[in-house]
Amino acid sequence: MANEPPRDPVKYVETHVYLPYHYVAGDSRAGYLRALKDKKILGSKCSKTGKVFVPPVVNSPESFAPADELVEVADRGIVTTFCVVRIPVTGRDLQLPYVAASVALDGASVSIFAPIQECAPDAVRMGMRVEAVWKADGEREGSHEDILYFRPTGEPDAPQDSYIHRL
Amino acid sequence: MKRPVAVVGVGQTQHSSRRADVNIAGLVREAVDRALQDAGLEHTDIDAVIIGKAPDMLEGVAQPEQFLVGAVGAHMKPMLRVHTAGSVGASTALAAVTHVASGLYERVLTIAFEKQSEGNAMWALSPNMPFMPPLVAGAGGFFAPYCRAYIQRSGCPAHIGALTAVNARANAAKNEYAHLREPLTVEDVLESPMLWDPIRFGETCPSSDGAIALVLASEAAARKGPRRPAWIKSGASYAEAMWVPGRDQVSPLAGRTCAKHVYDQAGITDLWNQIDAAEIYVPFAWFEAMWLENLGFCAESDGWKIIERGEQKLGAHLPINPSGGVLATNPIGASGMIRFGEAALQVMGRAGEHQVEGAKTALGHAYGGGAQYFAMWIVASDQ
Amino acid sequence: MSSLRNVAIVGFAQLPVVARDLHRTSPEMLYPVVRQALADCGVERDAIDFQIAGSVDYMDGRPFGFVAALDVMGSWPPRLDLHLEMDASFCAYYAWLRMQAGDCDTAIVVGHGKTSEGDPRRVLNLQLDPYYQAPMGLDPVSTAALQASAYMARSGVSDRDLASVAAANRTAGARNPENQLHTAATPDELLKTPWAVEPLRSGYLPPVGETATCMVLAAEGKAESMCDRPVWIQGVDHRTELQTIGARDLTQSASARLAAEQALAMAGLQTASEVDVVELFALTPAEELILCDALGLDAQAARPVRNPSGGPLCGYPIMSTGAIRMAEIFRQLSGRAGARAVPGARRAIAHATQGHCLQHNIIWVLGTDRRWA
Repeated sequence: MANEPPRDPVKYVETHVYLPYHYVAGDSRAGYLRALKDKKILGSKCSKTGKVFVPPVVNSPESFAPADELVEVADRGIVTTFCVVRIPVTGRDLQLPYVAASVALDGASVSIFAPIQECAPDAVRMGMRVEAVWKADGEREGSHEDILYFRPTGEPDAPQDSYIHRL
Repeated sequence: MKRPVAVVGVGQTQHSSRRADVNIAGLVREAVDRALQDAGLEHTDIDAVIIGKAPDMLEGVAQPEQFLVGAVGAHMKPMLRVHTAGSVGASTALAAVTHVASGLYERVLTIAFEKQSEGNAMWALSPNMPFMPPLVAGAGGFFAPYCRAYIQRSGCPAHIGALTAVNARANAAKNEYAHLREPLTVEDVLESPMLWDPIRFGETCPSSDGAIALVLASEAAARKGPRRPAWIKSGASYAEAMWVPGRDQVSPLAGRTCAKHVYDQAGITDLWNQIDAAEIYVPFAWFEAMWLENLGFCAESDGWKIIERGEQKLGAHLPINPSGGVLATNPIGASGMIRFGEAALQVMGRAGEHQVEGAKTALGHAYGGGAQYFAMWIVASDQ
Repeated sequence: MSSLRNVAIVGFAQLPVVARDLHRTSPEMLYPVVRQALADCGVERDAIDFQIAGSVDYMDGRPFGFVAALDVMGSWPPRLDLHLEMDASFCAYYAWLRMQAGDCDTAIVVGHGKTSEGDPRRVLNLQLDPYYQAPMGLDPVSTAALQASAYMARSGVSDRDLASVAAANRTAGARNPENQLHTAATPDELLKTPWAVEPLRSGYLPPVGETATCMVLAAEGKAESMCDRPVWIQGVDHRTELQTIGARDLTQSASARLAAEQALAMAGLQTASEVDVVELFALTPAEELILCDALGLDAQAARPVRNPSGGPLCGYPIMSTGAIRMAEIFRQLSGRAGARAVPGARRAIAHATQGHCLQHNIIWVLGTDRRWA
């Protein structure tokens, strides 16, 4: 039996590809993640224009100048835009639906992506002021998950022209 | 461009969710055979092969152009492999244009493909990377916030995405190669599930297997061919950095810069009247309105009005995506070249049922990355 | 051959090749070399018309790995741009071609990738067709060993001969501060290293290494103000072959031979032995000998001098190894090679390859003089 050729032509070959990778975070990103353990959000400042990039970068993509100086930015800011995700993604375990927002932190010149919670998805608005909700002391590990999510602060929304060109 | 370049052959595959009848080489070969036959050429007439496709994780083969050498007739020829994310099909065609424009190559074959049914496309496009926030849910999840920002900025009504999707399907029904050809109604779209609010399922491109090949030739070689060629009047591919403070993700500067470059080079000064058809890269319906503005067909915030008035339909003033576009067919690596190839077919008068009558000048457009890469060309029936 | 535009290499910068840069991601390694290359040419970023990058997603272990490089290359305002899934040497070809098409006068060509993050032998198994060859578990060392074995059987080359070729690279490489391996080795020492995949000893193969590189190319009219001694491209050609290992004569490299013939013809030369220096992207000593055959070079002859840089054996950073061969020629011909300068060098060949068993080869003929009037 085992030596008989297959009756039907072979149509498919299923191959599982297993490739291990060991990524380097880089000092810039590592410093940013470590600071999250201390409830600090770091950015780096362009040596030419003073604009602040979060997470820190080695150079400003705008001016091409180095951006080595680290600065702290606030853990609060404005939702500049967002979407409500309603479909699951392989390898992610966020509960659906969730709000993925672009958040412009006070003091930063570019936005970060973050989930918004403690707010019905329908109630999230562009311009909404939000603050970070951190993992409890002792539970933070120096990873992106140290910030659990952002929630509305209850303050009045920021005016449209303060964020509409700052997505 | 140092010397004129023409499209002398176009070949595409039957695009579908899964081409289980061919392997990767077979898929690519289907397009190549059709393009060569279209051009009245043999593979021995081709001087170089330029291939493009999107991330290799989509098929689980690293640099597949290497094993495809025999299938595409590239043995003992120069071959290059391009990858510029979603715009790759288009930037690949432009790299091929360079070959002929340089004067060093007479006829080149350029191919773009994706057989993404063979891998796991969703994973391949957004795997969980360490040191990155695990948030963005695929391409739709990335672009949806900017579609929302467009809607906010422009006052675009909620049904514009649906109108765009319905029109794309109506056009695709007239395109024998398109993947999704069943008609849709506005109600179908508005009742379809919301995936990444504000983008609905009915407003989202499919995942397709497909390939397209073009044969580009010098003026002398083009004049020897059996078909009326499409002359490439201009072309350019640009890229911009991602994290530029205040970068306009709704109407990226790279798109506007690229458009100006190709219009200036082709002598287009009155876009609305000089372009007869445009194949633009719309993977999520809202982008059609956004790109109409970015490309300069109308003022900022007016793109959605063109769609509401139906001016972008077949038979109307400026048909957009008469092939059905990316919303009907999206083998990621191929889509950019399909835009370029369809624009060429229009001015060659060979777009069959979805032909724009009397089309003499057409625009092909594609974008990729975080709306960072833009590639465009303008083709015309007259040299 | 009708007249082409004279284009030169006017600058090159790289980081030293290291096993693993623990402090920087791939784009972060690229930033300083782009700045350095431009500074050496005395120009600002805006003076560059076109940018092109070489990197491979599977080597990066992420899809769209190259997109992050835009932010470190000065891609603002938006730039004319392209990216190839190929070594930077092939990217340089496209940039050269664009100059021939009149589409640009200056270009930066970058190569980047952190080889250390993945396992290259496993990743490059995926280059093989997924139906017949990849499932056999062949990796680039195994396929190179198949080629070496076939070559040795046909030519009579011995293990000791391979050791001698490798040792010559190591001796030269000891004088090149950019290398990952910078100690000399004798044939006897290398003969004592264990088999990696017989007939290739581990001493014949490069270690895993990484760097980032930036080359600056400029056309006549611009080149002269960017470099005191531009190195002119006199001829270039590249060819690929069928990948299927069993369908090729592994004892020869037909594509390298044809590319060399075409490139030499463009340069107005009869044979490769008319040049003074040759830099070969040979991963193994057997490949080096096969390439010598393909170029019509006597492997025993003292001129042209082969791999004064130490070759890929001393530093094999993914995506930049081909560019570094061109860089060495730039250094040799522009008086930047210091203690390892080849005296009186005026003409040279730089080679690059990709794919298993020398599947795809590019040959550059470079010189101190312009080719076309």
